[in-house]
Amino acid sequence: MRFKSGLIPLCAVLLASVAVPTMALAAPTGTLVIAENETPENLDPANATNSTVDELLLGAYDPLVQFSAGATEVTPRLAKSWEISPDGLTYTFKLRDDVLFHDGSKLTAEDVKFTLDRLKAAAANVLNDMGPYASAEVVDPTTVKLHLSAPFGPFLSALSRIYVVNKALVEPHMGDDHARQWLSVNEAGSGPYMITAYNPTESVTLKAFDKYWGGWDGNHVAEVVFRYITEPSTQLSLLKSGEVHIAPDITVEDKIALKTEPGFVVDVGAAATPLFFDFNTASKGPTGNKKFREMLSKTFDRQLHLDQVLMGFGALPDGPLPANWMGHEAGTEQAFDLEAAKKMVEENGWKGTTLTVRYLPAILEEKAAVEQLQSNLAEIGITLNAEGMTWPAQAATLQKVETTADINMIYSFPVFPDPHAILNATFNGALTGAKGGYNWAQYSNPDVDALLNEAASSSDSAKRAELYKKAQKLIGEDYVVITVSNPGSVVALSDKVEGYKYNVAHHQTFNYMDIGLKP
Amino acid sequence: MLRLLTLPKTNIERAAVILALIVILVAIIGPFVTPYDPMQISFRSKLLAPSSMHWFGTDGSGRDVLSRLLHGAQLTLSATFFVLIAGVVIGCTIGIFSAFVGGAADNALMRLADIWLGFPPLILALGFASALGASLQAAIWALVFSWWPNYARLSRMVTADILSQKFIASADALGVPLHRKVFRYVIPNAFDVLIVQVTLDISAVMLAISGLSFIGVGAQIPQPEWGAMIADGRSYVANGWWIVLAPGVAIFLTALAFNVIGDMLRRELDPTSRRR
Amino acid sequence: MAYVAQRIVFSILSLFVLLFITFLLSHVVAGDPAIVAAGPNAGAAKIALLREQMGLDKPLLTQFAIYCGQILQGDLGTSWFTRQPIASDVLRELPPSLELVFIAMLINLAVSLPLGLLTARYAGSRFDDLVRLGVMAGAGLPVFWIAIILQQIVAGRWQLLPTAGRLGFANREFSGATGFYLFDSLAAGNMNVFLDTLAHLVLPAFALSLLFTAVGVRITRTAMIGEFRKDYVTLARAKGASEPRIMFRHVFANGATPALTVFGMQFGWMLGATVLVEEIFGRPGIGRYAVKAVTQSDIHAVVAVVFVVGVVFLLANLLVDIALYVLSPRKQQRA
Repeated sequence: MRFKSGLIPLCAVLLASVAVPTMALAAPTGTLVIAENETPENLDPANATNSTVDELLLGAYDPLVQFSAGATEVTPRLAKSWEISPDGLTYTFKLRDDVLFHDGSKLTAEDVKFTLDRLKAAAANVLNDMGPYASAEVVDPTTVKLHLSAPFGPFLSALSRIYVVNKALVEPHMGDDHARQWLSVNEAGSGPYMITAYNPTESVTLKAFDKYWGGWDGNHVAEVVFRYITEPSTQLSLLKSGEVHIAPDITVEDKIALKTEPGFVVDVGAAATPLFFDFNTASKGPTGNKKFREMLSKTFDRQLHLDQVLMGFGALPDGPLPANWMGHEAGTEQAFDLEAAKKMVEENGWKGTTLTVRYLPAILEEKAAVEQLQSNLAEIGITLNAEGMTWPAQAATLQKVETTADINMIYSFPVFPDPHAILNATFNGALTGAKGGYNWAQYSNPDVDALLNEAASSSDSAKRAELYKKAQKLIGEDYVVITVSNPGSVVALSDKVEGYKYNVAHHQTFNYMDIGLKP
Repeated sequence: MLRLLTLPKTNIERAAVILALIVILVAIIGPFVTPYDPMQISFRSKLLAPSSMHWFGTDGSGRDVLSRLLHGAQLTLSATFFVLIAGVVIGCTIGIFSAFVGGAADNALMRLADIWLGFPPLILALGFASALGASLQAAIWALVFSWWPNYARLSRMVTADILSQKFIASADALGVPLHRKVFRYVIPNAFDVLIVQVTLDISAVMLAISGLSFIGVGAQIPQPEWGAMIADGRSYVANGWWIVLAPGVAIFLTALAFNVIGDMLRRELDPTSRRR
Repeated sequence: MAYVAQRIVFSILSLFVLLFITFLLSHVVAGDPAIVAAGPNAGAAKIALLREQMGLDKPLLTQFAIYCGQILQGDLGTSWFTRQPIASDVLRELPPSLELVFIAMLINLAVSLPLGLLTARYAGSRFDDLVRLGVMAGAGLPVFWIAIILQQIVAGRWQLLPTAGRLGFANREFSGATGFYLFDSLAAGNMNVFLDTLAHLVLPAFALSLLFTAVGVRITRTAMIGEFRKDYVTLARAKGASEPRIMFRHVFANGATPALTVFGMQFGWMLGATVLVEEIFGRPGIGRYAVKAVTQSDIHAVVAVVFVVGVVFLLANLLVDIALYVLSPRKQQRA
């Protein structure tokens, strides 16, 4: 089916929101409206790495295992239970037998295998983080085996974005593009909500699926609408006029103002999306010099950034990993000390050096951080030129060491809460910008690579923690990045919303499947 | 310059001339008379409403809006004038050349200018600026790129007009060399027409530059270009309306002043309008 | 007829020159679409594979030739991000923008024509001076600035008009066959939706129209002022024709020609300027689509937007030209 807005009579929705749900087991009622500043590129589960796509699919599809909002470990979804072979190469999943797709057909192991085979054939972006996944095998309708070519510690966590599609629906549309065009505007899931209208530059509507296997206990909404509103000030106006219930993208100042305003709630989620200044460590220019990088790494005031830019919404970073994560090593990065930096500049005759930083001006925090660094470096006699770019343009400059700026800003968006997801992507020499990865410092240290690789292939968390600690120490001694901030995920909500909780494994999404509206 | 002071006939025109002179003066000395450092961020004093300390308030990074406005005048005006001057130089070179050679080359060049003229400048500049990377320089060249045809057409028209007159035929007979013809006859005659057009275009170019900065492909932080200041302040309209208001009013008043002056110059200098 | 044919051929030629320029431009765009399409942590091998699939490894001229071949078949390519035929994406985004431009043009004409005519008739009067000052002020207002101010005051503070979007929340289920909600709602006999659509259009259209209206008044005045001095006006006055009759029957009918040519061009320019208001008012549309395409380096989508805006622009001009040619008195005399 191609989406045209369904013709559910409007009055029914209005009536439903008026009715007061006093029964314990209420049918989902009301409409939740969420503002979002970025439009989704499509609905294809192959692109679930992108949060604008993920936030729509999160409630429309089910994966084998999933992180619930607020959890840091996966819990069963389509899979009731699983077993891992001693060599860590085979995962056997037992599936639920009561799961229905939105078209009423039953979900089986065949659908799981079809999903993974399709993603593999289509070279899907979600598989980028699946490590050495090799193949899927159907044992019986409720048992499926996944094979790996090498052990991969965070494999279960990585499965949380593999959304299972309805084979019978998708297969006829495979064509020569692996059904990418079809799945981009059609949904074939089994989740609690069905996508009923898809107008990607305007709004997307989801409606509760009454035969959802998980049932509808408690307070839930019957309809979820995502409205695409770019301007923070417009989002604020709509939140205040009651036209949207959740506004994630308004300015920090407005969020603070809302904290004390009756009728609104400001939620701060403990996100794990560190923002970095990446120094070009492979550069022939000044940043190629370790000593120069040592000086640079003392010139950023993280506390000021947290207090005045993030207005306290976040955690003070202590190295690249969030402090409460497994494997975090404290004190690996330089503290802010402009005097010491100034001394180094004078001793080494670096005064008058000109550097360039590239960043995304659309992100207020990046802009503020660049302005902060500019102003500090100016004080010690170093000029920092800022070059605002679009994401693809900035990414393209990282393809060669020569075109890489002295400093680049980049957020790490780990797809699951595991040190691997941050450290490997940011520091592994196999994933430098020049090799198509997000290691934008072009940093390559064989010792660090060995530690990261060993940690990834182990499933013993104590051992992994030790290895990650060692790696962070080495990285700190090479002065590769400044971890600018560890911002909280701050979301402004109407106080009618109950049950919202930040999901660390699905950053910038909303657990609308758990949310109800107060009458 | 002195002549400019004698031309105004009405109070509005006098006000416009005075305003334009003030803006130009600010653009020249502005960076030296700012009450605060326009780049120095100070988060502790951010989003302060206008007061005797900060006449136009402070922005989202605690910088004094008045200081940024004064500093930005230079950036905004010099960018605008650069686009116009480069546009005039490129356009007139092509236009005068076109008129002299005539024939198929003339036809082809003017057709090319037509295509350029016809296309929405903002979309063209958007593509161009994104190709060169986002910076004020890129935006400036993008606008030069989409502005020259105006002057090519105008200068071709004036040149062709002059070339068709009798005194050129006699100059030809006397063997006056080409460069003398251009400098002696064409440029002086074209000057009045061009100066009117350029003055009238100031506001359009200024709006285009600020528009490009607004959509993010123009001036970069911390440059206080006026359009970039509006873009910067738009997230704060709810609790810092002055950040958006001040540069907008500055653009508006400057544009208005130059429009009034352009209109006045057209009345006084342009022979085609005098004839009406 | 030869004239019309020549215009059409010239228009098509212009379009291809334009296409070539944009194609060249977007290929030297500093971004690499393959990197973006590959997603996070993709690795060099996958990026190279995608580059090949996307045809980015071929020489530029070959790519352009392939692209032109597709366009001639009505195929604008497939977006690497929405995975949809770009033609269908553009067809979805064009109606809201055209609707916006249409209303802005109505405002423009409704103000420009009468004001232009009246100021030409009373040239040199205080009224003329006042309007001229207004025109110069209007031509100095940044579109995006006035859009923000109007949104904050009229929609925000006074709550007179909606803040953002195309339709109010109550009408969110509405959809129509053409995508032009003004038309679709009338066709469905739904006055409620029609008025709602209109209410959402007023502020963005007004903001968009200001600059163009200022130019429109000036052009109309210039076009009309010459007509008032022509002999036939004097003749008509001598014959005792009433002043309104002279103004509308003679001056307006004759003087409208050059003004209309400019309004034709303004239509395309307005479409190109929608980018300045669509984001602020949270409206879908071709301008917002273009910005998104540029930020993603979705090359074919960028080129397609330029192409489509170009086609609309040339069509508008062509229509005006042909209309003027068909209606022109000189041609009628010859016939």
